[in-house]
Amino acid sequence: MAMQTEDHAAPADHAAPAAPGHEAGAAGAHEGTAAAGEHAEGGLPQFDFAQWPGQILWFLIIFFGLMLFVRFFAAPKVGGTIEAREGKIAGDIAEARRLKDEADAQAQAAAAEAAQARAAAQKVGAEARAKAQAELAARLAEEEAKLAATGAEAEARIAKAREAAMTNVSGIASDTAKAIVEKLTGKAATAAELSAAAKG
Amino acid sequence: MADAPKIDPMHQFLIQKIWDGPVFQIGGLTFDMSITNSVVAMFVGAAAMVLFFALSAKGQVVPNRAQAAAEGLYNIVDRVLVTPIIGHHGRPYIPYLFTLFCTIFVLNLMGVVLSVGSLAGQTWTFTVTSQLAITATLAVLTFGSVVLLGFIKHGPKFLTLFWVPGMGVAGGAAMVVIELISYMVRPVTLAMRLFGNMLGGHVVLSLFGSFVVALGLTAMSGGLSTLLFIPSALSFAMIVGLTGLELIVALLQAFVFTALATVYLNEVVNFGHGH
Repeated sequence: MAMQTEDHAAPADHAAPAAPGHEAGAAGAHEGTAAAGEHAEGGLPQFDFAQWPGQILWFLIIFFGLMLFVRFFAAPKVGGTIEAREGKIAGDIAEARRLKDEADAQAQAAAAEAAQARAAAQKVGAEARAKAQAELAARLAEEEAKLAATGAEAEARIAKAREAAMTNVSGIASDTAKAIVEKLTGKAATAAELSAAAKG
Repeated sequence: MADAPKIDPMHQFLIQKIWDGPVFQIGGLTFDMSITNSVVAMFVGAAAMVLFFALSAKGQVVPNRAQAAAEGLYNIVDRVLVTPIIGHHGRPYIPYLFTLFCTIFVLNLMGVVLSVGSLAGQTWTFTVTSQLAITATLAVLTFGSVVLLGFIKHGPKFLTLFWVPGMGVAGGAAMVVIELISYMVRPVTLAMRLFGNMLGGHVVLSLFGSFVVALGLTAMSGGLSTLLFIPSALSFAMIVGLTGLELIVALLQAFVFTALATVYLNEVVNFGHGH
């Protein structure tokens, strides 16, 4: 770096008054740029190519250091975390879906079981009702039969009594006829005549 | 002029030596490895980046703010750029692109956030990405890696990238020239875009800063010039607004650089079935 003093160095020093301890470096840099012949007022310090190699080499060193850091720490860590989270969310959703399916199946089974129980209860009820009805019908029939039997017996008795009464009536009629015949004719009629007359 | 500092918006880009380092020559190039304000700013930016990821990458399923920020940055590279543009084959290149993105972003951001320091004469608050040397290095590194990868993966067949089919021999040959030029311009535009954005923003900020001080000092001399406090205050308001804008530009330029790198990389990775 050229160390000649130019009148440019004075304002350069003046421009950085609040940087004590840097004057030497600042002045040196200004002189360097001045020596490169580019740093007029408003000239771009970026085109001072004397600064390029050192700056680029330093930058490459730091950039490759950062690349190693990102390659072996930052990217796997951050990207891995994101992937792990997504995996976990997907897994949790799948697990929730599985549990929901399971619950649905259980609900369905429970509903089926309830329907079956209801059918069984209905069957039992129907059976009980049928049994009760049958019993009732049997009892009714029995009673009816008993009643019928009693009725028939009574009828038979009545018929017998009537027959007996009828027999008495014909006896009475023949007796009466015998008496009438005796009174009218003075002689007794025979039994056969009497019975024929009573019947006729 | 007695008290007002000289208006020199380029002064902030001046490389200033802080500690002497070794100087050596390789092939006619003089490598001055002195610690300059630029190098200090690189180290500060790198340290900030390492510290940020070391502290924020906790691996929690439910992230805290810092981890969410780190994952947001990662997702810009992964979910916004690499996966949609390159697809699954782009995964191996994420570390490089992520480094590129974070490095440009942190160096851009430092230039804006710490630009106050340069007004206070703190030489280490330096915008590294406003140096053409640095943006050109990043551009050449990225472009060179892409071309190298193209030849490694596809051999001489990679040159068919410049052949536009269906143009005939003469038309095709003309297109090769045009395509080749447009291809070779890529690193230049990459470097110039970032450099120009950082340079322009900081020059404007510095100019308005100078106005604040110069107009304010003149206003203090009393009399009618007291009115100059008004433009001085307006300039200050401009600085506030422009600083916000520069924060956006800092992220945007990092994104644009990485996005273009991803697009260039895509041509190589998905060679022959992306056109």
